[in-house]
Amino acid sequence: MAKLPTPQALMSSRPAFPDKAWLDIKPEFAPGSYCYPAKKETMELLHMPNPHDWDPSAEDWNLPDNWEKILCDAFEERLEKHRSLKLFMDICVRCGACADKCHFFLGTNDPKNMPVLRAELLRSLYRRDHAMLGKLLGKRIGARSWDKEVVKELFYYAYQCTECRRCSLFCPYGIDTAEITAIVRELLHEVGLGIHWIMDPVKNCSFTGNHLGIQPHSFKEIVEMLADDCETVTGIRPKTPFNEKGHEILFITPSGDVFADPGIYTFMGYLLLFHELDLDYTFSTYASEGGNFGSFTTFNMAKKLNAKMYAEAERLGVKWILGGECGHMWRVINQYMGTYNGPAPDNMVTPVSPFTGTVFKNAASTKMVHIAEFTADLIQHDKLNLDPSRNDHIITTFHDSCNPARAMGLLDEPRYVLKAVCNNFVEMPENTIREQTFCCGAGSGLNTEEIMELRMRSGMPRGNALRYVQQKYGVNHMACVCAIDRATLPPLANYWAPGVTVSGLHELVANALVMKGESKRTMDLRQEDLPNVAEDDDAAQGEGQ
Amino acid sequence: MRAIDIFRKHKDEVTRLWTESVFKTYPLETTGFLRTKQDPFGNPVGHMTKEAAAALYDAVIGESVDIEDTRKALDRFIKLRAVQKFTPSQGLGVFSLMKPLLRTHVLPELLIKKKLHDYLEAESRLDSLTLLAFDMYVKDREILAESRITEIRNQYAQLARWAQRLNAASPLAVEDQGAEAEMHSTEGQGSV
Repeated sequence: MAKLPTPQALMSSRPAFPDKAWLDIKPEFAPGSYCYPAKKETMELLHMPNPHDWDPSAEDWNLPDNWEKILCDAFEERLEKHRSLKLFMDICVRCGACADKCHFFLGTNDPKNMPVLRAELLRSLYRRDHAMLGKLLGKRIGARSWDKEVVKELFYYAYQCTECRRCSLFCPYGIDTAEITAIVRELLHEVGLGIHWIMDPVKNCSFTGNHLGIQPHSFKEIVEMLADDCETVTGIRPKTPFNEKGHEILFITPSGDVFADPGIYTFMGYLLLFHELDLDYTFSTYASEGGNFGSFTTFNMAKKLNAKMYAEAERLGVKWILGGECGHMWRVINQYMGTYNGPAPDNMVTPVSPFTGTVFKNAASTKMVHIAEFTADLIQHDKLNLDPSRNDHIITTFHDSCNPARAMGLLDEPRYVLKAVCNNFVEMPENTIREQTFCCGAGSGLNTEEIMELRMRSGMPRGNALRYVQQKYGVNHMACVCAIDRATLPPLANYWAPGVTVSGLHELVANALVMKGESKRTMDLRQEDLPNVAEDDDAAQGEGQ
Repeated sequence: MRAIDIFRKHKDEVTRLWTESVFKTYPLETTGFLRTKQDPFGNPVGHMTKEAAAALYDAVIGESVDIEDTRKALDRFIKLRAVQKFTPSQGLGVFSLMKPLLRTHVLPELLIKKKLHDYLEAESRLDSLTLLAFDMYVKDREILAESRITEIRNQYAQLARWAQRLNAASPLAVEDQGAEAEMHSTEGQGSV
């Protein structure tokens, strides 16, 4: 009879020294660590290449017969099209500066999640066909051939990268590993491999405007419901202008903030702020999704979805676009929009704040201003009547959302606004904020619930830093400027630092905003009682008696 | 010499060895990093493992520790093990790896001093701590499962409210069907 194994034997998940090289150890597709595949119908509707049914946990992914040729040709085409890609493939010296900077690596301890090795998955294929030494020496210098296991491996790790670019901050050559991931995803799409959580919103954004595919009239009704809620809280019902021509500004924000809790409160914040300013603006139902789901798939899809912004700005005849709190939206705008769809339509001009006269020269090319810049400028010019004591019950920290921080340098404006509307502000540790911010762990289309376990792993470095300030300084709130953050940080905080709530910046702005003609605020935008106000009332009643 | 003094003498060595055996549950290529980098935010896994090792050892040897403090020190570590790619037994089995270390490094000296009883008590405390960790582990997994449900609900929070309002406002079945159809068309997606 066999003996029961000892705990040590049960624990040994690997031999003392692995019998295979790191590149040959293949990932295991365990539930909770991969996303569900895109539906065939969705891919067909979008005219994506080689749509087919497949299952990531299955042995056979039903790749098209000539899959290897498709991938090799597609790779070659990208190398010719994007000189940056060729450079990134050639220039890396594998110094390892990026190795321990990735939140996925820190959370999973999987060597292939080191950005250098994740890129090496593609680079090894590059060497075989495109590098002289690789052609001559093959495996000895790290070249390898395509096979179906390699395709699976590429899929596994391309969707364990949130394209946050923390690694590229530390790369002495400035290699943008996020772009390598983007190219890998693009290659995989050539053989029909995509994920549901990205492709369905892409479909909806393509056909309807917002990521859930809600028809324009319904979308408008939902926004009006939020305006009703604003009235319940403040006594003022803000206007909700839609698709109106002739306004100065078009406002575009992620549609997640119209549908999802707690993003809706940030949206209410925008409505109240704009109403108080009497801003000359309109929403668009066609360009109602600022976040670019296409940027998680292919260059062309990103371009297509991005085109709606300028198309709508031109149709509605606005002078410039004000953009809401979003992550990838701003990366696309700052880094790719000019190439995709520039220059801006002729009716657009360099944005000027109608209230302060500030010229946003930084937006001279894109004609798009981030709302944190806009509001910071208003506060700087004392244009808002703010009562930060309404937020006194929270001690907040600020999570720099990866893309605004690293792709547009939006570091101080949100902090400036936050400090103006909250009296209690605490920074997280230095190497977890600003340019070095840790990702929420679910960006680039990975905030889907089937990989919640993986998200808790990859978000651990952020959760860990949050937990630190919670325990040390009593932080009970985290503000952010990204819709993915607002969706994904609440479960992350609940896991790693329970008791910390999450909100967008403009939810806190609107809570502190003293509006003309408003009724006495007794609750915040979430319709939760404001503790400090209740005490005042008791005191006032006591005096009266 | 009291038994606890003998235990204390071996703390550094046993916690170091235990930490290393935990690191060995990760791929070989990454254990060097876990072992050497000291930054609590640059190497969170290393930091939380070392914190857990010290707290675990103190509790096992019978230092007068507050159970809440021990729980707090183990919390991060167990949360980590609960979401990493381990089976539950691999996740929590690391606690059992303390026993062979104690038997090799502390037991012989205790036997010479005829303090076997103290040693057995320490092992029993380790068992209790493993049970405590088991509770925490299961709770963490439950949080994880709840998070998935809450997230699905939150993604459609406004949509559900709107659909309910439509139902309440209109007695016409046709409109009700319309709202339902629209809800169905959005299945399986989330917020941005």
